[in-house]
Amino acid sequence: MEKLVYSFPASKPIKRPAHVGVVGSGDLEVLVQPSENNETVVEIRTGITGFQDTWKKVIERFVSQHNIAAIITINDFGATPGVVTIRLAQAVEVSLNDTNDN
Amino acid sequence: MTQMITESLVESLARERAFQLLDKGSAYEILGPFDRMESPHLTAQNIVPQYDDGMIIVKGTLNGKPTVIISIEGNFQGGGIGEVSGAKLAGTLEKVLKECKNGHTIYPVIIYDTGGVRLQEANYGLLSIAEISAAIVELREYVPVVGIIPGKIGSFGGMSLTAGLCSALIMTREGRLGMNGPEVVEQEAGIRELDSRNKQLIWKMIGGAMRNEVGLADIVVEDDVVNFKNAILNVWNGDIELKQRTQQVDHFLTIFKSLNVEEKISPEQAKQLFKDATLKNTNRVSTPSEIVNSRGRKWFELLTGGKQSISEIPSVLVADAEIKGLKARVIAVVPNPENSFYRARNGEVGLLEGWAIAKYVREAMKEDAHLEDKRLIIPVVDVPSQAFGYHEELFGIYLSCSAAVDAYASARLVGHPIVAAIVGKAISGAFLSHGMQANRLIALHDEGVNVHVMSKKSAAIITQRTVEELDLAAKDVPSMAYDIESFKKLGALYNLIEGINADNPSSEHVELLIDSIYKAYEDIQKDTVRDLSNRLKTEIAVASGRVASIKVREMIEQQWK
Repeated sequence: MEKLVYSFPASKPIKRPAHVGVVGSGDLEVLVQPSENNETVVEIRTGITGFQDTWKKVIERFVSQHNIAAIITINDFGATPGVVTIRLAQAVEVSLNDTNDN
Repeated sequence: MTQMITESLVESLARERAFQLLDKGSAYEILGPFDRMESPHLTAQNIVPQYDDGMIIVKGTLNGKPTVIISIEGNFQGGGIGEVSGAKLAGTLEKVLKECKNGHTIYPVIIYDTGGVRLQEANYGLLSIAEISAAIVELREYVPVVGIIPGKIGSFGGMSLTAGLCSALIMTREGRLGMNGPEVVEQEAGIRELDSRNKQLIWKMIGGAMRNEVGLADIVVEDDVVNFKNAILNVWNGDIELKQRTQQVDHFLTIFKSLNVEEKISPEQAKQLFKDATLKNTNRVSTPSEIVNSRGRKWFELLTGGKQSISEIPSVLVADAEIKGLKARVIAVVPNPENSFYRARNGEVGLLEGWAIAKYVREAMKEDAHLEDKRLIIPVVDVPSQAFGYHEELFGIYLSCSAAVDAYASARLVGHPIVAAIVGKAISGAFLSHGMQANRLIALHDEGVNVHVMSKKSAAIITQRTVEELDLAAKDVPSMAYDIESFKKLGALYNLIEGINADNPSSEHVELLIDSIYKAYEDIQKDTVRDLSNRLKTEIAVASGRVASIKVREMIEQQWK
């Protein structure tokens, strides 16, 4: 298991915490929670070691597209960069939504 | 052609399933991912955990009735039960029980999608499943406990013992219900016993349609949320008769005594055998010509003073004895090389054994029904495993194990003190069926006394690690180890008796065990509760053994609205 942490400046607050995905084969779990500082912190735990460069690129790209001040926690079980990107986008969509659909 | 648009439950994740079933706007999650109650034992083994540990608890209403849905996430670690996920399920059922006892009826629904015990946490899974079983047996008296097996994984391992205990089971044709998964049967018994790649055969054996047709599942639905809701309501409204299968001892025992498994029985033939009453007059169980010694038999004889067994099944020994002036029923499972079920000849708990245990425990309950002081029951535990075989799965070995669990748990609840004496192997489903429902567990401190869930070789294959890696992991995670000293660290043992030769005990050694049984008996008599909660209250459990189990229960209590 490898732990990675990235942080970036950000300004836009999120409306509510979000949780998407599952720590299952080729998938990951993403938690998005409001940050009190003007930054996005991304913490990753992954069972697949040795892909720091790929993670860095995926996260940088995500942050360049979404300006949200949030703490993002990821538990990864071998998701591809594509799946990671989609799950992150999904989590952001949920966190910016006003209504709770349950 | 008209096409109906359906809302699938099978395709959804565990959390979605729970919310789909409950009335919109009514539901809230207890111990959700933001509480970050993850498994401490997975991270200790460098395995990525999940923040809800794959067990989702959602409370709300279903058709206006207060309901709690406990949904297992099959995508995370195969839906395996570890300490946290197990405590979430057991703790929720215990909370519902408490509410029901106080007159607040809450309807529990369990959605099964699980391979059973999580092998990386092993003995925590066993302890949890025993606690889940105990809670279901007690809760069923207040409210129907509904189990749903939608499918993808299905329900396997020790969790199927708990499914067998549910008041009613709802399945889809895609869902499967069995004890040992096909891959494990093939691994343990060989490809001639069962070819796990033969998917058609497997669904014919243990799929929802078959289970329903022979009366092991109550309702089969097509995958649509509304169908599941209606099925649940049918159970609640009493439109479905609750069969109490685990109490139909005569029915199942008669079938299994008559079976001839020398040639493979096909699923089609099995359907007939379940229905055909005329076949049931044959009894193929005979007295074995040869007695095989085992620890279980030895200690049974020593505890009963060499009494003749009254059991009609030779692999289950039963006798009433006197322990320091107390009447006690002693029960042991022993090898019988002539067992008609060839996969259960080495002392395994198989189709006959589980039901036979149920029969003789229930017999003692019936005989003592009018007595204030109920007979002590002593399961002598030396069980290498449950039986891994094709016929075992076809005919529902899980239910045979459920029946034994139910009998012991029911006896405990009506006031029979039960003290399990672990003298040899105490493994997996066999230990759950024979021993784990006892008020107190005592064990001999001996190398041959082992508690675990699967042989090292199979566990290595399934968790994709080497045996060496498993041994290494067991050093940091005592629940994964096989020796009794590590098991003691979990806090569930009442006493670990030192200085006994388990194979060749002297008369003093026998006295030591009898003293310990008597002490445990006195401790039970002092207790005001009849459940298994004392396993969470021992010094070791509180200090280190069950920290997460206790914490989870506290958090459920806090978040319950």
